[in-house]
Amino acid sequence: MNKSGNKKTVKRFNLGFRISHWVNAAAFFVLYISALPMYTEFFDWLYPVFGGPAGARLVHRIAAVAFMLPLPIMIIFDWKGFSNWAKNIFSWKKHDLQFFPQFMREFFGMKAKVPKQDFFNAGEKVNSWLMIVTTIMLISSGLIMWFPQYFSYGIIMWAYPIHNIGLGLAAAVAIGHIYMSLVTAKPSMRGIIKGDVSEEYAKDHHGRWYDELQAAETKKKKHA
Amino acid sequence: MTNHWNDLKHADVLMIIGANPAENHPISFKWILKALEKGGKLISVDPRFTRTSQMANVYGQLRSGTDIAFIGGMINYVLENELFHKEYVAAYTNASYIVEDTYSFNDGMFSGYDKGKRSYDKTQWAFKKDEEGKTLTDPTLKDPNCVFQLMKKHYSRYDIDTVVGVTGTAKETYEEICKTYASTGEAGKAGTILYAMGGTQHTVGTQNIRSYAILQLLLGNIGISGGGVNALRGESNVQGSTDFGLLFDNVPGYMQVPTTAETDYTYQGFLDRITPKEGYWVNKPKFYTSMMKSFYGDNATKANEFGYHYLPKLAAGKNYSFMRLFDAMYRKELEGLLLFGSNPAVGGPNAGKEIESLSNLKWMVAVDLFETETSSFWQKEAGADPASIQTEVIFLPASGSFEKEGSVTNSGRWMQYRWQAIKPKGESKADLEIVHMLARRLKDLYKNSSNPADMPIKALTWDYGESDHPDIDLVCREINGYDMKTKKQIEKFGDLKDDGSTCSGNWIYCGFYPKNENLSKRRDSTDEGMGNFLNWSFAWPANRRILYNRASADINGKAWSKTRVGIEWNAAEGKWKGNDVPDFVADKGPDDPTFIDPFIMMAGGKGALFASINEGPLPEHYEPYENPMSNAFSSVQLNPAVQFGEAEMNAQGDVSKYPIVATTYRLSEHWQSGAMTRSQEWLAELVPHMFVEISEELAKEKGINNKDKIIVSSARGEISAYAMVTKRFKPYKLKDKTVHHIGMPWHFGYKGIVTGGTANRLTPHIGDANSTIPEYKAFLCDVRRAK
Amino acid sequence: MAETIKLVDVTKCDGCRACMVSCKNWNDLPSEIEDFHGSYQSHEKITANTWNVLTFNEQERKDGGLDWLFRHSSCLHCTEAACEKACPESAISHTEFGSVVVDYDTCVGCGYCVQACAFDAINLATYVDKNGKEFRKAQKCTQCTDRLEEGLQPACATACHTGAIVYGDKDELLSSAEERLAQIKERYPNANIYNPQGIRGTNTVYILADKPTTYGLPENPKVALSQIVWKDYAQPIGKMMLGATTMAVIGSFIATSLNKKNDSSEGDQSHE
Repeated sequence: MNKSGNKKTVKRFNLGFRISHWVNAAAFFVLYISALPMYTEFFDWLYPVFGGPAGARLVHRIAAVAFMLPLPIMIIFDWKGFSNWAKNIFSWKKHDLQFFPQFMREFFGMKAKVPKQDFFNAGEKVNSWLMIVTTIMLISSGLIMWFPQYFSYGIIMWAYPIHNIGLGLAAAVAIGHIYMSLVTAKPSMRGIIKGDVSEEYAKDHHGRWYDELQAAETKKKKHA
Repeated sequence: MTNHWNDLKHADVLMIIGANPAENHPISFKWILKALEKGGKLISVDPRFTRTSQMANVYGQLRSGTDIAFIGGMINYVLENELFHKEYVAAYTNASYIVEDTYSFNDGMFSGYDKGKRSYDKTQWAFKKDEEGKTLTDPTLKDPNCVFQLMKKHYSRYDIDTVVGVTGTAKETYEEICKTYASTGEAGKAGTILYAMGGTQHTVGTQNIRSYAILQLLLGNIGISGGGVNALRGESNVQGSTDFGLLFDNVPGYMQVPTTAETDYTYQGFLDRITPKEGYWVNKPKFYTSMMKSFYGDNATKANEFGYHYLPKLAAGKNYSFMRLFDAMYRKELEGLLLFGSNPAVGGPNAGKEIESLSNLKWMVAVDLFETETSSFWQKEAGADPASIQTEVIFLPASGSFEKEGSVTNSGRWMQYRWQAIKPKGESKADLEIVHMLARRLKDLYKNSSNPADMPIKALTWDYGESDHPDIDLVCREINGYDMKTKKQIEKFGDLKDDGSTCSGNWIYCGFYPKNENLSKRRDSTDEGMGNFLNWSFAWPANRRILYNRASADINGKAWSKTRVGIEWNAAEGKWKGNDVPDFVADKGPDDPTFIDPFIMMAGGKGALFASINEGPLPEHYEPYENPMSNAFSSVQLNPAVQFGEAEMNAQGDVSKYPIVATTYRLSEHWQSGAMTRSQEWLAELVPHMFVEISEELAKEKGINNKDKIIVSSARGEISAYAMVTKRFKPYKLKDKTVHHIGMPWHFGYKGIVTGGTANRLTPHIGDANSTIPEYKAFLCDVRRAK
Repeated sequence: MAETIKLVDVTKCDGCRACMVSCKNWNDLPSEIEDFHGSYQSHEKITANTWNVLTFNEQERKDGGLDWLFRHSSCLHCTEAACEKACPESAISHTEFGSVVVDYDTCVGCGYCVQACAFDAINLATYVDKNGKEFRKAQKCTQCTDRLEEGLQPACATACHTGAIVYGDKDELLSSAEERLAQIKERYPNANIYNPQGIRGTNTVYILADKPTTYGLPENPKVALSQIVWKDYAQPIGKMMLGATTMAVIGSFIATSLNKKNDSSEGDQSHE
């Protein structure tokens, strides 16, 4: 545990994890913005921003490369964080399921009693899963669309709806995720920017993880 | 064409031999398909399977240069099976004529051959006459010396097995073709033969066409709608230019050029020589004098023999045809050359040697739309050393057909006027303007000369206006002809006179501009009957659409078929009437002894089954100059009347070294030497590469894959091209052996947007015994993969 | 207006390629000189600047003969046009003549249509604007809609001298096609009328001399399920989802603000 300012903080995300997250976020944002005018005519005014459709396509492709980087970054630079995340999202227990009804109450500003959560709460787990699925959808279909010469007509034709659905899902997930982090769970922002969160926040939002941290601390002390 | 394009739709059977109209005369297929839709049958006979073959019901392969064997076999089939049109043959052809006893035929040779001159004494094949000069006939056709019996005997040697052993045609296919085509011998049926350069460009070219004509006469297919011997002319106005004396020994209207021979010392002597005693040509003096009046006007008088001595004379016995001119050039006997839209560096036979010849000229003027391989023969690009070539080359830019006004005569003899669509580009000028300016300057240069040699130029009338742009209407009026005194237009060539009172630039066109209407400008597409469109443009002669149309009716003047009426004798009105202009004196009735003589241009008025041309009265098969096998019909290998030119121009290849038969052709997408089309990007892209078509079998033998670069070589040279391996080429299965063949377009050269090897670097410098058209269509070569 | 179609009877085609030249001429398209393809065919396939290509196929006949099959291949103008469906900008549409055309002003050159077309009939052309920047436009045969509007025939039909390409009344031409089919069956036993119903027919109908696959045409093209999923479901639902998410976010924001005001004492520890 560290001291940060006058509040006690705990380490939440390593640098590798954070870079990975922000590369992902930035790439997604650019991809999203450069795709929007094609997704719906409502956003056609965005074309000039990229210097026309050709510019938008170029930007989209560059961002697409960046979009494929987070996973390798995380694996290479923060194996621990990656494996923790991987373990976490596969772990589904009672408290995870109990999260959702309470979350809905909280989301709309009502009183809620959320059970103690893991390092990643159930909402984040769902977010992770949605992100994994949509990313696979987007990257695989995007590559097919980018290099159609290597694929059969039928596969190419399926790439389009998959990319499209991927975008719809991913956009919804991203909006929710951003909103959550900006509005309802503001302190978590510090975790993904600076890497640590206040002990208080950890205790409140990720009780089980906090408990584990405490246990580990105690254990360490004992051994020391 | 004896008939015309639109008339093709009336045919029951069409045989296309030595032509590829789907590719080279595409519009013909508009009419051919109409015939097929009505149940007509199309036969395509060609060395290779062409776009025309695909459209055909039957495709028969024949080895290049074996048309006479092929058609001779059909003639034999028709005669042996008595499928000929008996009434027609007996009444309208010279089948019944008795031939002199001096005629004989033995082992490929007719009687009267002079080995030294390589020519025949044709008098030995003359018809027997009685004391009054009338030809003896046997209407029963039984006399062993009558044409019919001699012909029957001659072609009895052309049995199917021998024929297909020479032509390489599958026997079953050949029999099917014989049967299908011979079906048109039935009265009322019509079969047409369409041919082009595949028929003519051989050492036996003229006899090839003769053989088509004989078959057509036997089947009663001449003079009728849907019949005819139809030459598909290779250029839009080649018919017109031939009509106007394109050939070296012709003046306009298919009349002879005088020579330096003693007979031609005087105009009268010359006329006596060229005017036959019978047939419509007895009027030749009227046409000739009128023509000279158009040349020399008031300078042509009775006293000066109508200007006869102003005419250039051919040296007696000398040949001035295309190849002989190049021979002369090669020997440095020619100083200058004027080329109008001509590109011999690509289009000439043995083009490599012809290019060499060009450098022996002092000057050359090339008139063309684009700088061609010929006008730039001296450039480095051409592989030449400019410093060593002293020829002064002047290039005159010409305008294209849409940039000028004038007429074009199509294969069906329709003289169709065209108007200018756009102004010429840059300084380009119409041919007519160029000639006009040249003539005026020459006249100006010679105006003060008293040298007798300059008199023809001085005597020439050139009154088509004072500006550089001639008044084309005046030219038209003069071609038609007018009365010298009243200046009134002549209405028909029958009104032309031999006393100098009329002029006519070309008698066969006389009548296209009667009174004050230029009929070639007519565009009335109303079909008054049989699709002859008599009010559309003007067809020579006399707006007649089908030549020899008297033969469309039986001996009593009744149409052979109700559905195929040309002209019919209307007894009530006492004249010939129908859907065409009668090719006959309109009121000549059954009382006239010549009532049954449809072939008015022939002495005797009968179709010539037997006709004396240079190599004999009946077409006989001889092998091409370069050939893969010995002649199966006789021990005579080459046409005995073929003349050889400059030996150095004409290396001969042997089958041991060059075992493959080759032929050249054109494609829909390119035009002639490609000067125009290879410079036009939308056409250039359609066929951008020089290729050689070879069979899968030959490709396998030579280890050549499709799209490989290959080298084709002949005794004259070699070229490189892409190999196009195709199922459409099949080796010929001849009597004793299998022979491979290849084919290639001759459109390519090194100028233009797309370039490629020039096929004519390979072709031999030898030609037909009558016309001297080069033998482009059959020669020997070898192929190998390019390293 | 009566419905019109273009009918291509390949059995009347003599392979002259006037259709190709007249098309380039009318539409002012540049030439494209390709490498040697080993046959008479000039272009491997339709391109953005070569809207129709005459294809040449050689095949042996069952009766021992040979067929050299020609086909004027160009856009078929499908009734259910995959290109039109794929276009994210709605730049592709049907005209009153049944032709399918690209609005060049709206086209962004994404190439979705190029991938969607089962006939390889639409392609992207690259242009350079006055600033030297490249941009792309999808281009294909318009069935000469600009000529049709003036009462003319498509340029290819005008140029075709054998009547292999004709343009006119749909019902008349389709019944004439049936008659023609009966006539040519003897010569071409596999002859068929190609007007695939899986895409509710095409506005360029073919009389083919052999099976569609001989000519590289899909036997029975259908409106692709993937396109239905995409354009009829995924796209609208996706747009709805974006809307719903946004609404949820806005709703949450408002509700949270309101609740905050009401229970300000509990602050942000409210979920405890």
